[in-house]
Amino acid sequence: MKHEKIETHAGLLIVLTLIVISVGGLVEILPLYFIDETIEEVKVSGKETVRPYTPLELLGRDLYQREGCYTCHSQMIRPFRDEKLRYGHYSLAAESKYDHPFQWGSKRTGPDLARVGKKYSNEWHVQHLIAPRSVVKESIMPNYGWLIETPLEFKDISDRLRALKLVGVPYSETEAEYEANVERFGEEVAKQLEIINAEDNLIEQAVTNNYDGITAEITEMEAMVAYLQVLGTMVDFKQFDDGYFATFR
Amino acid sequence: MSKEKQSRTVQTTGHAWDGDIQEFNNPLPTWWLWGFYATVVFAIVYWIFYPAWPIGDDYTKGIGNEIEYTTKDGKTVTTHWNTRALYERDLQEARAVSDKFAASLKDVGYADILKDADKSNYATSAANVLFADNCAGCHQPGGAGLPGHYPSLVDDDWIWGSSYEKVEETIRKGRQGIMPGFSASLKDAQVSDVAEYVLSLSGESVDDEMVKRGQKIFHGDAGCVVCHTKTGQGNIDMGSANLTDQIWTVANINTKSDHDKKLVAVKKIINNGINRSMPAWEKRFTDTEIKMLTLYVHQLGSSN
Amino acid sequence: MSETNVQPYNYGIIRLFTIMAIVWGVLGMFAGVYIALELTWPIFNLDTPAITFGRLRPVHTTLVIFGFGGSALFATSYYVVQRTCQVRLSSDVMANITFWGWQTSIALAVISYMAGFTQAREYAEMVWPIDILIAVTWVTYFIVFVHTLARRTQPHIYVANWFFVAFILATAILHIFNNMEVPISLFSLKSYSLHAGVQDAMTQWWYGHNAVGFFLTAAFLGMMYYFVPKQAGRPVYSYRLSIIHFWALVFLYMWVGAHHLHWTALPDWTSTLAATFSILLLLPSWGGMINGIMTLSGAWDKLRSDPVIRFLIVALSFYGMSTFEGPLMSLKSVNALSHYTDWTIGHVHSGALGWVAMVTFGSFYHLIPRLWETKMYSDRLIFLHFWLATIGIVLYISAMWVAGVGQGLMLRAFDEYGNLAYTFIETVEFLKNPYAIRALGGAFFLIGIVIMAYNVFMTIRQSRIERVALEAKIAAKLAKA
Ligand code: HEC
Ligand code: HEC
Ligand code: HEC
Ligand code: HEM
Ligand code: HEM
Ligand SMILES: [Ca+2]
Ligand SMILES: [Ca+2]
Ligand SMILES: [Cu+2]
Repeated sequence: MKHEKIETHAGLLIVLTLIVISVGGLVEILPLYFIDETIEEVKVSGKETVRPYTPLELLGRDLYQREGCYTCHSQMIRPFRDEKLRYGHYSLAAESKYDHPFQWGSKRTGPDLARVGKKYSNEWHVQHLIAPRSVVKESIMPNYGWLIETPLEFKDISDRLRALKLVGVPYSETEAEYEANVERFGEEVAKQLEIINAEDNLIEQAVTNNYDGITAEITEMEAMVAYLQVLGTMVDFKQFDDGYFATFR
Repeated sequence: MSKEKQSRTVQTTGHAWDGDIQEFNNPLPTWWLWGFYATVVFAIVYWIFYPAWPIGDDYTKGIGNEIEYTTKDGKTVTTHWNTRALYERDLQEARAVSDKFAASLKDVGYADILKDADKSNYATSAANVLFADNCAGCHQPGGAGLPGHYPSLVDDDWIWGSSYEKVEETIRKGRQGIMPGFSASLKDAQVSDVAEYVLSLSGESVDDEMVKRGQKIFHGDAGCVVCHTKTGQGNIDMGSANLTDQIWTVANINTKSDHDKKLVAVKKIINNGINRSMPAWEKRFTDTEIKMLTLYVHQLGSSN
Repeated sequence: MSETNVQPYNYGIIRLFTIMAIVWGVLGMFAGVYIALELTWPIFNLDTPAITFGRLRPVHTTLVIFGFGGSALFATSYYVVQRTCQVRLSSDVMANITFWGWQTSIALAVISYMAGFTQAREYAEMVWPIDILIAVTWVTYFIVFVHTLARRTQPHIYVANWFFVAFILATAILHIFNNMEVPISLFSLKSYSLHAGVQDAMTQWWYGHNAVGFFLTAAFLGMMYYFVPKQAGRPVYSYRLSIIHFWALVFLYMWVGAHHLHWTALPDWTSTLAATFSILLLLPSWGGMINGIMTLSGAWDKLRSDPVIRFLIVALSFYGMSTFEGPLMSLKSVNALSHYTDWTIGHVHSGALGWVAMVTFGSFYHLIPRLWETKMYSDRLIFLHFWLATIGIVLYISAMWVAGVGQGLMLRAFDEYGNLAYTFIETVEFLKNPYAIRALGGAFFLIGIVIMAYNVFMTIRQSRIERVALEAKIAAKLAKA
């Protein structure tokens, strides 16, 4: 066919263009759903250790997005020795399988946060978020003082969990779903994933851990720190042989 | 466009848009075409050697490009090229260098490491960056601490003990600095009195009457002695501060000039109590890394 | 005077889009300079949620890519399609819908980011109601454009329009598939994306790269294919090259998104495809540059006297440079160093400032006198703009190369024992000077576009005065007769 033909028929130009631009995405995206190795199996004594976020952590994650932390911080440690020494074991696909959306980031103006959980104490995070330069003199991170001044809004928590359930995160509503979660993650985790108890669970986690250091109320800081403290803590790499995760690639 | 002077006579395609936009029908530049072919060859070669094309629920793994590596526990693995295997091999190569040093630290006592220049240089070089990337957020570069928040590691005071074993335990397991608050059990005047007494232990008091009253409370109802001991020197097993040494790690005293402000600072502690924690590092670091950090931190402060 | 007589072309809509492109350009580049200052001196965050770096950065990218770039593309594509098809836009009403739909989307996006509503995926941060508004606007755009094409009085569709068509189609597909999400309720702006983790990452960068590929490249090539031959007064260098590089580009672009995810938890096979297709992209990309530069090459004499030609030639050079740098950064070994660093930011802006903004400026200086039927108010100010922009780019990009390569090397440096040689915070300190220089370069660039805005404003005013004078003359003549 001469190009003349395409050039003189708008419809043909459109159809051909559509076909040509569709191939790449189909070949690269669809198989990610069908190739089993894409997401690693991470089980310890038969239970999955990577779990969905608790209600409090989830709200923290939403705040992390609201503030645009991803514009400075990645959450994806690459398999390099320097990154291992600096941030810890490389990130697995499994570790972000409940992340809607993913927060891998594309720029490290600040350090990677994929394994920042438990690296610092709660008080440190609170102080650092309020005034980063009071703990790290050279920091260029903004102050986030309002997090501790603003009460956490959590009335819509069950809406959030339900929306996530719709896109495939195993929060449970029925007894059967709950039982399935017990089977999958163990009872303690399964309880945290019950949508009817979301609000109670949230309050209980906040009161028990008091991430923000304020007992009188639950602030946005509470959720943010709860989220930061869980990052990268779900896989205990000591339980897996060196090279185990390479078998998925 | 007949006036066009070019070596080859080129023609336009014959159409004109918007009055005067035309197109020459020049052939593709040869270098461009060969360049493009070259990239095609490059791509095909690449696809042969590396994982590339998805097929059904699997993908081509690449041939003739196997990676062989030995894991830390001595297993040898051969696999098709992939970034994670590459990483394991990189670690293996790095171990060849660093294991030499790391092994040289294993089963060697702290004091002996210090005596050996090679070993101690290695340990210091590693600990420098480990400390700066992980500890300096709290203890600050150089270990000076943040008065009122995080203890200094360069002074002579060790809340949890100064021996290598104690310091190592601190780093490995983390520590909880916990003291109850007394705002509920003591009246404000009483708190002032105890505070004045505490200040007197390091020679900072001005009001003897208050000190006397405070001493009673300290040794009596409040039960401060349970933790801080009768002498006020504290107990390294529970991390209760030594109140007699003029070194303040929680109460921010030394930056305050007049006595009233110091009193307020101490009262604040007694009223609110303390709840601060040092994270545990044993999950994050290898044994050698903890050893090197212990050595490093120990050298920062003076030992006794 | 009321415009009762139907003009051969709808210029009104083009004028509106042109003005808005400049307005968003000034605001977006101001935001760029401002976030550059925040990175240098964090005090600029002013402890105010709405303008902290994390919220303002998407404001910057949205304003410059979609506000400035998008409006410029609407303007030029409407101009080009009408002139090369010799027919008026098919529907004024629908054209107006695209204008208001687009401008409202940009304004709402910016306000919502500052208020903290975001989808937290780069270049697709708009919340779901805005996504829907954009989708509607875009479909309308497609209809207007294609309907106009269909009514052309010329048998042949000009190459510029191929690129516009591909851009409109691809953007529609990308936008729709990348924004599949579930709102938490009909009354909340919050939603969760359909995909998660690795699949989400792949979808997002399939979109993200092609926001670059189709929005910032293919479409601007469409712009180039009209304004370069027009301004140079010469035929396009090679029709055959146009065909080959057009089809190669639109096919290959869609494969390379994963070069934003090298060495991550994305499977290696995907990464390989992205790397190789990025290399395959080099020469097709250069096809556009060759066609542009060779077309201009008969008009070198104009380089000294014609500021428009200057903008266009510099734009094509930067286009060539960034499409060389891109494939280079797509190689896994290079990306290992460049990824996550300011090298990427430098690359972005050599494309964004050097290519996108420069080709827009050049085209606008050609377009505006024709839209308002007068001459540009000041040629000297155009030259001044040219120099400010060029110096600004050079400062920006060189600072970012130093910053990116420097930080990349520091972070992977080991000492003789195999221990890390630098701490993270040492690299943050190292970046201070390059960041200050980048802010300075950005300020040059910003002043340039502000001068352009002034020049355009004065041109429009001048056109009004001329028209009033002309009408007075005509009225006087009529009165005499
Ligand atoms: C302008 C860029 C920027 C933004 C935006 C930003 N940060 Fe940071 N962040 C940094 C820099 C630089 C550092 C390193 C210096 C320091 O520790 O403050 C850092 C460090 C951190 C650390 C300590 C990491 C470690 O391992 O030492 C945490 C945790 C953190 N940021 C969380 C956040 C959160 C949560 C947000 C959003 C609410 C955020 N950051 C927004 C730049 C930023
Ligand atoms: C989140 C903040 C934080 C980080 C990070 C941190 N520390 Fe600490 N560290 C503390 C606090 C708080 C204490 C005091 C605990 C107490 O009062 O009981 C402490 C106490 C110590 C002590 C005991 C001091 C004494 O006087 O007995 C040592 C030793 C120590 N840290 C070493 C380290 C090392 C080494 C690292 C890094 C690997 C580190 N710390 C990281 C907060 C931190
Ligand atoms: C249950 C144990 C306990 C009791 C009872 C207790 N303390 Fe403490 N106190 C501690 C510990 C542990 C620390 C050190 C905490 C740290 O370093 O994080 C401390 C620290 C202090 C400090 C801060 C010292 C510094 O270096 O800044 C003061 C002042 C103090 N105690 C006074 C008192 C007084 C007065 C009482 C009684 C009214 C009292 N404490 C009762 C455990 C106790
Ligand atoms: C053949 C052409 C090109 C290729 C192969 C290419 C490749 C790349 C690569 C490898 C990255 C770095 C990804 C990373 O490590 O995170 C990148 C980033 C980027 N490029 Fe290009 N590039 C090309 C042309 C352009 C052009 C012309 C522009 C015009 C503006 C551009 C805009 C961008 C942007 C905006 C990013 C940043 C994306 C992000 O991380 O947010 N690129 N490109
Ligand atoms: C006055 C001129 C400009 C200045 C000072 C400027 C400054 C900046 C800064 C400081 C960032 C953030 C970099 C970081 O996170 O480290 C940024 C990001 C970005 N800018 Fe600009 N910018 C300017 C103009 C433009 C223009 C005209 C465009 C597009 C047409 C553009 C597109 C982008 C993009 C796509 C990013 C995101 C890059 C990424 O995520 O990798 N900028 N800009
Ligand atoms: Ca980015
Ligand atoms: Ca609380
Ligand atoms: Cu890309």
